Amino acid sequence: MTLLLGSLTIGLILALLAMGVYVSFRIFDIPDITTDGSITLGAATAAILIVNGTHPVLATLAGAAAGAVAGTVTGILHTKFKINALLAGILVMTALYSVNLHVMGRSNVPLLQTENVTDYGADIGHAIVGSEDMDIFGWETDTADFFVMVLAAFFVAFVGALLYWFFRTNVGTAMRATGNNPQMIRALGANVERYVVFGLAVSNGLVALAGAILAQYQGFADAQMGIGMIVWGLASVIIGEALVGERSLGLTIIGAVMGSVLFRLLVAIALRWGLNPNDLKLITAVFVFAALVLPGFIKKLKPNKPAAS
Amino acid sequence: MLEIKGIRKTFNAGTVNEVRALQGVDLTIEEGSFVVVLGMNGSGKSTLLNAVAGSFYVDQGKISIAGKNVTKWPEHKRAQLIGRVFQNPFSGTAPDMSIAENFAMAAMRGKNRGLGWALSPKVTDALRERVVTLKMGLEDRIENAIGSLSGGQRQALTLLMATWLKPSLLLLDEHTAALDPKSAHQVITLTDEVVKRDKLTTLMVTHSMQQAVNLGDRIIMMNKGKIAYDFSGPEKKRLRTEDLLDCFEEIRRREQLDESTAAMLAEQYI
Repeated sequence: MTLLLGSLTIGLILALLAMGVYVSFRIFDIPDITTDGSITLGAATAAILIVNGTHPVLATLAGAAAGAVAGTVTGILHTKFKINALLAGILVMTALYSVNLHVMGRSNVPLLQTENVTDYGADIGHAIVGSEDMDIFGWETDTADFFVMVLAAFFVAFVGALLYWFFRTNVGTAMRATGNNPQMIRALGANVERYVVFGLAVSNGLVALAGAILAQYQGFADAQMGIGMIVWGLASVIIGEALVGERSLGLTIIGAVMGSVLFRLLVAIALRWGLNPNDLKLITAVFVFAALVLPGFIKKLKPNKPAAS
Repeated sequence: MLEIKGIRKTFNAGTVNEVRALQGVDLTIEEGSFVVVLGMNGSGKSTLLNAVAGSFYVDQGKISIAGKNVTKWPEHKRAQLIGRVFQNPFSGTAPDMSIAENFAMAAMRGKNRGLGWALSPKVTDALRERVVTLKMGLEDRIENAIGSLSGGQRQALTLLMATWLKPSLLLLDEHTAALDPKSAHQVITLTDEVVKRDKLTTLMVTHSMQQAVNLGDRIIMMNKGKIAYDFSGPEKKRLRTEDLLDCFEEIRRREQLDESTAAMLAEQYI
């Protein structure tokens, strides 16, 4: 049960990352590798602030803001200096590795001794249940663990709703068109370059928010924690689309959250069954490759069987 | 309304691919007039349209629309004065978004897009009313993605979107060239209706002599980045497609003359 709760909670926290990747990859049509650096930046910023006595909520927000700044830099490199989006992301990600080490002052900052945002979940749980352990469908469960998960779920739902609302407003709708047909929305008076910068800022802000919360949940920030996170986010988005389809904005946001949680659960089960953790990134990459290629491949095969319907 | 003074544009200047696309174009268009631009491939007619729309900045000269000097305005800022329909039916709409959402964006052309809900009932009701007049049965499909529609339908919708907020200037860049004859006819009829109803100042590029003769109140023929002929008023009304073909022939002969004279002179003096 602890393992299940842990996977669910991490899946929910990384759903923020998945939403961030959804914004850059699906809405703006830019595979933004800054993600790998900005998740660590969020974690590092929040961790170092908390260690130095800043309020955990403020520290978390500061982490997210730092990620947004990183996204802005990528956006400016891409739009103002006309650098290929992929390369702009690689440049900023590489630079962030040094920045993150400077922010933390070392390669790892432990957070176990200090109060952080996950304590709010535990406090709420203790206030409601009144004991350290509780009973869920016959399972003996740690109250704190359960309510941290519930709090994470509420927070993710809130952020998802906010994202949905924003992308249905006039400016948000125009931003979705930016990724879909920039020529058209420019002819309708939208400053496409500014939208792209803003979109990458939002995307990396969400990613860094995930990093800030993840660091507090797992009890440390680490310079290596961001490696491969973009692929993780892509996997979540793709699983989500397989689950709910690609048509409606609301559904795809929900899909990204579901995809993240499901993917985390699958990974936990695979590891439990004896998968070598070293193979995890390889398998994730292969999975994303298959998910990107298979739909086109299946389409190619179909005309060979005419009148199958 | 539209005032162009001595605009010049050279692409890839100083390289082997140098193209002198516009070589000093002067053009003034009165408010409410419908100008058709003709010319052979590479004559600079699309470049002229793109220069007005702001797809690039001109090297020299001045462009004013509705009394505003827009020469240094970026493309997206000029959009508050200009409605556009492109040659490619896929260019004017966002394919993965619904008809309603595309119109919601067109309803904010050139305005400050705030945090208001995009698909307000006001927009969707007005949209349905207008789409019914297309008689394409699209009024029941406004929640569908535009990508599922045919090129002709998309081009008709793009035209409605471009003119949703009355533009000071409407730019049509061979907007029927990529359509089948039936759709092209539908779109050109719609164009005529909309332009007449709203008395829009229009600049239309086309390859079709027939369209040029039937539509508009002025014809401009371009050659080598300059305006070669300019017909308006009663002269334009009398113009037939044969006359236009004669003009093209004359341009062709003059060019040949240039070449043969040069050859003759070379023979004599070199």
